[in-house]
Amino acid sequence: MAKVGVYVCHCGSNIGGVVDVEDVCKHAETLSDVVVSRQNLFMCSDPGQEIIRQDINNGLVDKVVVAACTPRTHEPIFRKVLEGEGLNKYLFEMANIRDQDSWVHANDKAGATAKAKQIVASAVAKARNLQPLEDKYVDVTKAALVIGGGVAGIFAALDLANMGNKVYLVEKEPSIGGVMAQLDKTFPTNDCSACILTPVMVDAGTHPNIELLTYSEIDSVEGYIGNFDVKIRRKQAYVDWEKCTGCGACADACPAKTPDAFNAGLNNRGAAYIHFPQAVPKKAVIDMTHCINCGGRKIGSEPKISKKTGNPILAPCEKACPAGAINRSVAVDEGGRIMDVKVGAIVVATGYKVMEKENFKNLAPDSPNVLTALQLERLISATGPTGGQFLRPGDGKKPHTISFLSCVGSRDERHHTHCSRVCCMYMIKQAKLLKEKYPDLEIYMHFMDVRTPGKDFDEYYTGAIDMGINIIRGRVGGIDTLPEGNLRVMGYDSDLAANIEIDADLVVLATAIELQDDIKPFAQKLSLTLDGSGFFKELHPKLKPVDTPVEGIFLAGCCQGPKDIPDTVAQAKGAAASAAVPLSQGRVRINPTISEVNQEKCSGCGICEPLCPYAAISMIENVAGHPRARIEMTQCKGCGVCTTACPSTAIQLYGYTEDQIMAQICALTA
Amino acid sequence: MDKCGMYLGCNIPFKAPDIEQSFYKVFPALGIEVVDMEGATCCPAWGTAPSFDVDTWLAVSGRNITIAEQKNVDIMTGCNSCFGVLSEARHMINHDPERKKTVDRNLGLINRKFQGTSEIYHVSHVLYKNIGVDKIKENITHPLTDLKIAVQPGCHILWPSEVMAVKEKNSFFPTILKELCQALGADVPHYSKLNACCGMGAMRSTDQVRSLGLVKDKLISMQEEIAPDMIVTTCSSCYLQFDGAQKILREKGEIDFQIPVFYYTQLLALCMGFDPKQVAAISETPRDAIIQKIQGATRLVN
Amino acid sequence: MAAINLTKMDKKEVIQKVIENGGTGITKCIQCNACASVCPVAKAGFPLYGRLLFRKLQTGHFEEIIEDSSSWACQACNRCTEICPRDAKPFEMVFAFRRMQANELAISTSAFTPLMNLHATGHAVYSEASKDLRVSVGLSPEPVTSISSEEAQQEMRTLLDNSPMGELGIF
Repeated sequence: MAKVGVYVCHCGSNIGGVVDVEDVCKHAETLSDVVVSRQNLFMCSDPGQEIIRQDINNGLVDKVVVAACTPRTHEPIFRKVLEGEGLNKYLFEMANIRDQDSWVHANDKAGATAKAKQIVASAVAKARNLQPLEDKYVDVTKAALVIGGGVAGIFAALDLANMGNKVYLVEKEPSIGGVMAQLDKTFPTNDCSACILTPVMVDAGTHPNIELLTYSEIDSVEGYIGNFDVKIRRKQAYVDWEKCTGCGACADACPAKTPDAFNAGLNNRGAAYIHFPQAVPKKAVIDMTHCINCGGRKIGSEPKISKKTGNPILAPCEKACPAGAINRSVAVDEGGRIMDVKVGAIVVATGYKVMEKENFKNLAPDSPNVLTALQLERLISATGPTGGQFLRPGDGKKPHTISFLSCVGSRDERHHTHCSRVCCMYMIKQAKLLKEKYPDLEIYMHFMDVRTPGKDFDEYYTGAIDMGINIIRGRVGGIDTLPEGNLRVMGYDSDLAANIEIDADLVVLATAIELQDDIKPFAQKLSLTLDGSGFFKELHPKLKPVDTPVEGIFLAGCCQGPKDIPDTVAQAKGAAASAAVPLSQGRVRINPTISEVNQEKCSGCGICEPLCPYAAISMIENVAGHPRARIEMTQCKGCGVCTTACPSTAIQLYGYTEDQIMAQICALTA
Repeated sequence: MDKCGMYLGCNIPFKAPDIEQSFYKVFPALGIEVVDMEGATCCPAWGTAPSFDVDTWLAVSGRNITIAEQKNVDIMTGCNSCFGVLSEARHMINHDPERKKTVDRNLGLINRKFQGTSEIYHVSHVLYKNIGVDKIKENITHPLTDLKIAVQPGCHILWPSEVMAVKEKNSFFPTILKELCQALGADVPHYSKLNACCGMGAMRSTDQVRSLGLVKDKLISMQEEIAPDMIVTTCSSCYLQFDGAQKILREKGEIDFQIPVFYYTQLLALCMGFDPKQVAAISETPRDAIIQKIQGATRLVN
Repeated sequence: MAAINLTKMDKKEVIQKVIENGGTGITKCIQCNACASVCPVAKAGFPLYGRLLFRKLQTGHFEEIIEDSSSWACQACNRCTEICPRDAKPFEMVFAFRRMQANELAISTSAFTPLMNLHATGHAVYSEASKDLRVSVGLSPEPVTSISSEEAQQEMRTLLDNSPMGELGIF
């Protein structure tokens, strides 16, 4: 005979404001095997936990049901209570009468109370049948993978490496640095972005524990916390990086032309190129989709021989390379090569992109003098296409009047409903930098409202007003294109309560932050989910901001949501600390609520094998040579798909056994 | 498509019948049979039923659409307002089951049923999508070489793009009418107020002075930026506004220039050699001189 | 103007009326002012355009603005609807207000002629003089529309007489 204790939580007014807790408690007392039923304002509080502790300690109860909130956040807390009193922690069941009851039936108190009674009865029915389970442990590979080499990935990698872990830092571009490397200055201090980032990039590049894998992408991720098997595709650079010195001679010689993504498309680069001057590693690559195969020098082809000189005719890049790092005669695999690594934890820091101006048809996207803010950033950067000279792309004229437009694609149901969070501040930064350098510039900034919630942010903003920068509250609805490349910005000044027009030489659009187009297949590779705005979803918005639903995989930076550099670095360091936990523990616990095959009952039909979403099931031969299913415990997540599918009922899911579930169903349908 | 239901509306048959005549001339010549929509009424105009009751609007628009459905043809409108009213009505009927039920009930009173089989097109859509600029080029005898056009596409053919069967690539910088005019051999430069409102329609009857302010803005943008030989539109309301307002603005001394105005098919008919007395005979702003120039002997090709 | 005591305004009632008349986006509007920035009614200088009208309605103004004719200058150009970041369909809100005005007969007398024409002939715009114009360009005196069909005119009258418009006594 089980001795079940039921503890009903008010959760302040969350439950108590809707459900008649007293009534639920009384009802619980009438259920079979329930020996005690109590209530508390907050069961998870110390006094609340103490009630359970005492009942166990006094030998009153040996199975515990807490009717409260969600097991997702609170089950571990109560299990610990059981464990502390020497009771097996799996003899615990949680009844969620908040998320699934009081919150959704807030307007039907009687109905909510009746439902709470049913939920509690169901939990009690299961608890009566609970069996003790034992945790299992596996060893951990003491290495980490960081995906993305922007400022988030760099800081996560450095912290993990400094703690003594081997770190693989994977970056899809030829250099680490990310978007921060493209920025001119940073708010609210106006430090030069390159000046503060470059030394950190070098630290990452030279750290003995960090293996830098740039120009690489994740091919697949298998395994589980502590033991992930990762295949990394090292993309084909067509330049021998062992020999390449980063001199840039090939880039200078290359006649091909394609928009330079690092300069946000403002100028062209060759097919052979170095990512940017401060690149780490500073190595050249040949972008074969834009290579024009000069002299018919396709990769892997023999060179033609000059009739004049008798010498082979080489492509300009080959000829220019003083290190002999480019040899187009050698046939190489265009898919690159796959590298296998084993890691115990993964930090995803894949960053973001800004929307392109072509998405905004009413804002004259075809005009060369309409720029995204990232393009302006490159235009005013000393390493940008004009060497930092502020000249507009349409005709190289120096602008006199600029309009900045906020919330372009953000807070807009046709694009993204989220606030991109950094635009107000970076627009103010850009305006201030320009106004400082060119005091005669007329600057107009059109905001829906100005958002400056950060340390020293509002002072930075009011400083812009002091400088004579015009702040206008009102969204811009359209832009007309005027003769000679100028633009008529059609705005509205809410304070004047009037339509306004600005004849601008240049218009800057603060386009929304979003994730890359190919992020969905990438997320699938890692079994991660995206939130409503399309960013990676953290496990809990407040309490688990760097965790993901996949144990051992953590998030850092803008891939989790728009944020500025300080917040990104803080989150990166948080993700590194979280990732270091399993690595330093040396072993990880395997949840025992997983499935097991009863070899005696298994008929070897194999139905379960392809159904398993985690590839945890394999068919093995038993001693008699018959096929039998086997579940790898480290891979099983306890989803139960195999258990329900097995025609021989040979698969048992611990913690959700047939008798437990049938008891719940009986209680719910009683 | 080889035939289309010709939805005339009100302004074209009663105020600018030379536009109507131009439809009958150019479309058959370009391979599109113009099918009469007997008994068609007002679309109904924005200031009438749509301003009182949505269901009445949908019933009247729905009735007009059923006329085309019975003849198994799509609808072609010459007026932007009619195009907007009918397109929005059709979209609402097709996307809101409750509204559809009410439309069915109302049309039941006159023994009609809305099927949703006829699409709504604008004259410019049929010219651009079904006939095409190449065929237009082939069929003109009097090209507009060395003549400059300011185009006026009008609003209701642009927005809301969601409800329209044919869409511009960018409704804020439309190009369909521009390409149609270029097909006639004319130069069609951009002017900044291309997509601004002409001030016709409800605004004109509510407050003439303010309405004229808008058309004046547009005229000045055209004149100062490109100094066109003519204004060409595919909206009958815009046509009436540009043609009529110039006279008033000149009399008031607010402008000191005048630019002849054509509905596109009038100009096309002239370029195809049709008689101006039939296809371009009625206007407030004189256009004899430019018509003579267009149909002058020196211009004739073939 | 004295301060508006918002607590005494019939906000719910007015918002409900706007929604019933087709302005379902009224509660979505966040006053970003994009609609106003491109609105011909605002640009032409009418006092009660887009965002300002929506704010008035959101705050329970109706009787105070019922006589304002700005809404009747709306061209239905729908540029606002094309760009509204909240997809609130501003045009439909303007027309909802128009309908609220119209149903109280708060419309200018010039609006009655097209309505009566519509009821009589099926065409809002019609004049006898058009016959000569038509003949002059080689057309029949009347087009094949409802103007030349008693049956079509009767159908139109059936639709109008059986609609809420019929109850207003305008025909």
